[in-house]
Amino acid sequence: MTFVNWLKRHLVVIAGLLTLGYLLLPNVVVTVFSFNQPKGRFNYEWQTFSTDAWTDPCGVADLCGSLALSLQLAAWATLGATVLGTLIAFALVRYRFRARGAVNSLIFLPMAMPEVVMAASLLTLFLNLGTQLGFWTILIAHIMFCLSFVVVAVKARVMSMDPRLEEAARDLYAGPVQTFVRVTLPIAAPGIAAGALLAFALSFDDFIITNFNAGATVTFPMFVWGSAQRGTPVQINAIGTAMFLVAVLVVVAGMVIGNRRKRQKA
Amino acid sequence: MKTTQNSSGDVRLSGIGKTYGSFTAVHPLDLTVPEGSFFALLGASGCGKTTTLRMIAGLEEPSCGTVSLGDHDVTHLPPYKRPVNTVFQSYALFPHLDIFENVAFGLRRRGIKSVKKQVEEMLELVQLGEQARKKPHQLSGGQQQRVAVARALINHPKVLLLDEPLGALDLKLRRQMQLELKRIQTEVGSTFIHVTHDQEEAMTMADTVAVMNAGRVEQLGSPAGLYEDPRTTFVANFLGTSNLIEAEFDSRSGDDIVLKAGDGKLVLPEARCSAPTATGGKVLVGVRPEKITLTHADDAGEIPVGRNRLTGKIAATSFIGVSTQYVIDSSVCPEFEVYVQNIERDARLVPGADVVLHWSPAHTFGLDAAQDIDAGVEEGAAA
Repeated sequence: MTFVNWLKRHLVVIAGLLTLGYLLLPNVVVTVFSFNQPKGRFNYEWQTFSTDAWTDPCGVADLCGSLALSLQLAAWATLGATVLGTLIAFALVRYRFRARGAVNSLIFLPMAMPEVVMAASLLTLFLNLGTQLGFWTILIAHIMFCLSFVVVAVKARVMSMDPRLEEAARDLYAGPVQTFVRVTLPIAAPGIAAGALLAFALSFDDFIITNFNAGATVTFPMFVWGSAQRGTPVQINAIGTAMFLVAVLVVVAGMVIGNRRKRQKA
Repeated sequence: MKTTQNSSGDVRLSGIGKTYGSFTAVHPLDLTVPEGSFFALLGASGCGKTTTLRMIAGLEEPSCGTVSLGDHDVTHLPPYKRPVNTVFQSYALFPHLDIFENVAFGLRRRGIKSVKKQVEEMLELVQLGEQARKKPHQLSGGQQQRVAVARALINHPKVLLLDEPLGALDLKLRRQMQLELKRIQTEVGSTFIHVTHDQEEAMTMADTVAVMNAGRVEQLGSPAGLYEDPRTTFVANFLGTSNLIEAEFDSRSGDDIVLKAGDGKLVLPEARCSAPTATGGKVLVGVRPEKITLTHADDAGEIPVGRNRLTGKIAATSFIGVSTQYVIDSSVCPEFEVYVQNIERDARLVPGADVVLHWSPAHTFGLDAAQDIDAGVEEGAAA
């Protein structure tokens, strides 16, 4: 009876912890196996503890090259998609123009369309245009599918923005540029940042579209996929864990800074 | 600012109008707001008062006409080049900046480096010195309102525009802020142009009130002048309450005109009649509810001669403390309103009692009967 009562009282916490465990367990496995020293080519069974993969992350041929390429692509794709997406979002919310409705719905198409279809049609397009597949075709593809996510994030923010704020800025001697830099941008910033983070993550781990349009170029997800056919180097786990830690650190740092700022203001 | 260095600071609107497609928000109007005055644009929502204000601020491009500040035509100047600041209806405080930076915004944009002293003085003036480092959302509505005023006033504008600045406050705070704004205006001496739909607010604060209706200025004058001498039914009904009686021109006697209403006669000073007077012409006779004396029909003999009188039956009464409001059913006007001060209350004045209404002819005004008798009734009640 007491156990039942205890369960009743802590059910929410238990459910929460279980969900968290469900979400984090794969990461734990990846981390654990980054310290494994596998027998043979596959890193699927625990053998002995080793830090080899951590001390020599670039030990496998082409791994760090593909990682660098993926980071570079993600950075450029984020920049391109964020700039274009922000402009589109402002245009859609602020201005009434012809075909605004059509643009408004078409912009979401990349989100709704199956990736394979998009990948294949993009490839068809590139081949028909006679484009050399490689870095640029991947970048174009990434910017395209990141765009809709940025537009969604920024649009939500801009829509909730009071247009009177910009009028107030203009009324208080701020010219168009000053108004944008001092008022519009800072207020829209959280939406833009959210869009940019989404774009980075999407671009970095995209496999299907990249695989279709990469030609001979190999990105990190493609490298992992390729090596999984022949054997999985431990370094992949090490890099995966490192990426996870960086992401967690960024989030924690953001929260700490946010909290401190709030406490100072109060 | 070069534009502020002029001798006269009157705001002059000449033939200014605004149309959106086929809809005319503001019909071309001429208006002069003298320097240093507290001017109110009063009207129901959608009457064009806010559009007029926004054209002065430069936030709206007029379709025709010009806006001048003193000797300078500012019609085509963008808002950031006009020596005019606005207090917005929703305050429009910058949510990402603290109170200090909100108030300092205008100074900083004009390249003034040392803003600390000025901002602190301004925050003292609006009694918010303690709150300088808070964000706008941490303040109450009244405090936010004062920040909005401080943010505009710190720039020493030639003209301060107030767009329904008290609309979001509760009644008590609104009364307090009305006095506060009036005090600040007297202190800084700038021209204030205040847009409101609240006729009491306009009358309390402004030196001059322009009553707007459907994109036109109906009448312009001092609060007392507008109240005592309305020239249109809209003004008569929108500002306070008026009893309007349909009457017919009968004859002239000296400076007065005599009108026939029902079986009786009503007298009206000719100077207070804005209707064309010709024999048989229709005139709307108006009288304010508080000018009327109510006498029970039994005492009708005690009423002095020379007063306008009507008979009727009390339809309803409501006691509101300082006064009692009566609705009288009379043959010439179905819902005649009378406010009586509660000095000595006559116990016989209850619903159903026959009464005589009488008032001095000097308190009567005449309006052109060729207009809607109920114009402005709904809007006035809503405000």
